Amino acid sequence: MSVAEPVVELRGASKSYGPVRALRDVSLSLHAGEVLGLVGDNGAGKTTLVKCIAGTHRPDSGEIYVDGVPQQTLTPEVARSLGIETVHQNLSLVDTLDVMHNFFLNREIVARGPLGRSVGWLNKSAMYKTTRETLDALGLHLDPRTPVAALSGGQRQMIAVARAITWGSHIVVLDEPAAALGVRQSIQVLSFVRMLSERGIAVLFISHNMQHVLRVTDRIVVLRHGEKVGDLETSKTSAGEIVTLITGSDLVVPGQEDAV
Amino acid sequence: METTTNIDEAERASLRVTAQYHFGRYVRTGGLVLALAGISAYFTVSSPYFLTKDNLYNILLQSSNIAIVAAGLTVVLVAAEIDLSIGSIEALSGSIAAVLIIRYGLPVGVGIAAALGCSVLAGLISGFFTWKLKVVSFISTLAMLGIAQGIAFLLTNGQAVAGFPNSYKQIGIAEIHGFPGAVVIAIVLFVGLHLMLNRTRLGAHIYAVGGNAESAARAGIRPGMIKLTALMISGLCAGIGGLIVSARLDAGNGLFGANDLLAAVAAVVIGGTSLFGGVGSVMGTAVGVLIITTINNGMVLLNVPDFWQQIVVGCIILAAMVLDQITKAAKLPGALP
Repeated sequence: MSVAEPVVELRGASKSYGPVRALRDVSLSLHAGEVLGLVGDNGAGKTTLVKCIAGTHRPDSGEIYVDGVPQQTLTPEVARSLGIETVHQNLSLVDTLDVMHNFFLNREIVARGPLGRSVGWLNKSAMYKTTRETLDALGLHLDPRTPVAALSGGQRQMIAVARAITWGSHIVVLDEPAAALGVRQSIQVLSFVRMLSERGIAVLFISHNMQHVLRVTDRIVVLRHGEKVGDLETSKTSAGEIVTLITGSDLVVPGQEDAV
Repeated sequence: METTTNIDEAERASLRVTAQYHFGRYVRTGGLVLALAGISAYFTVSSPYFLTKDNLYNILLQSSNIAIVAAGLTVVLVAAEIDLSIGSIEALSGSIAAVLIIRYGLPVGVGIAAALGCSVLAGLISGFFTWKLKVVSFISTLAMLGIAQGIAFLLTNGQAVAGFPNSYKQIGIAEIHGFPGAVVIAIVLFVGLHLMLNRTRLGAHIYAVGGNAESAARAGIRPGMIKLTALMISGLCAGIGGLIVSARLDAGNGLFGANDLLAAVAAVVIGGTSLFGGVGSVMGTAVGVLIITTINNGMVLLNVPDFWQQIVVGCIILAAMVLDQITKAAKLPGALP
């Protein structure tokens, strides 16, 4: 594990939706090149935590640090400029657009010269070519002009993943990235996660699939009812232990998680 | 070997889907052009005056201001908003020009600039409320519909302020090699907006926000700003339409242009632009406008009472929507961004 300062750090983050307390005083840190698994039952607060890091939600209290710098106003725009890329559970694709415009959403290549600078004239052939090459390299053989609405669930998920791993230069957050994928593509996504970590990118990996989590992560944080109830090294834990923490059987009482 | 076949198959399937999608779009546009041809053929047979040079000239000229207004509306609908104030902004624009140029004797250029400036401002105000207060544009532009027309009536004291200088009237009546100048303005605007929507970053963002505002926002696009921009574009188009109407009628008034909303919505919907956003094109709208004006023109030639025209246009909107539902059900997308 790296001793350098974490690339992302949450300190005491809480978030409520009306009376529902989705996150309660959660602290966690994520280092460069580390794959951190985030697990928990439905409604445990995983997606809320993801949204806080992606900048779509702001915690009610607590701080988010990116590279040691506190982020008071983390918007999706800011998150992006910090090199944070997120695959949300609903994928955040625009169905009415084609693959290439989704891949380059808000990153469109503009033509060189005055036309590109003044009116944002697009260099569509460059966008086409890059999309094509990137998807080919990921083993996804699609015409970049295919409308996303026409793709299968797995293909859509792969587009979202491809987008994140291509543009995420610093931190990649994957919220259930393999939910709609078949066996072969799931394995592929796991290999992408390892590839990102080898590039020194910090990865937050959310999944219900215990095998995936155990296989790909370095460390696992467990959430239950919005609280962090476990922070374990993957090599020193087991599926049984994690499931116990997730479901909160009587062996583990909140507040004593340090003992685990 | 096996993977190669798989790749080929996936590739071919994807190309097939893309081809189908584009084909569906051409089928729809082709269908529209055929419909226009059929309607024209019917009127040609029914009236000896229809297929004359003068009448075709008239159709184009009458199309020009509705076309310009409808083009702006298309942009707003693609952004998943609506602009109900376009007719009123037309009236406002013509009234401002009339009052400044005729009553106060200001230079034509000043009158035009003020009229267009106020039209953009009207769009900006609707867009601002839509953005900041999260009021749907249906409401904010409905408010603007009342406000803009009210101001137009106030400025003109409810009368037609008439008697533009000749230079202003040229906007409505000038000819370029026998071709109506107003139509040239419309064509330039259509080409401009088509390129904006399909070839620029702003256009890509308008389609993205209209298709899925949440996804666009997560990519760092600001949907509110994009929608505001779309409403300003529509305000500008309505302002230009208002100048053309007032120049042709040689007067400004709170009523001139105010009825164009119905025809513009009809044209846009016929042209295949989705009322739910993310899908549509100004070129489809152009064909839609020609269909609407041709039908109106033909009905005049056949001595159909005026009121029937409104009813027919309303029915066409309904028919276009039914057609869209059917084609959607058949998985033939109407138009591609």
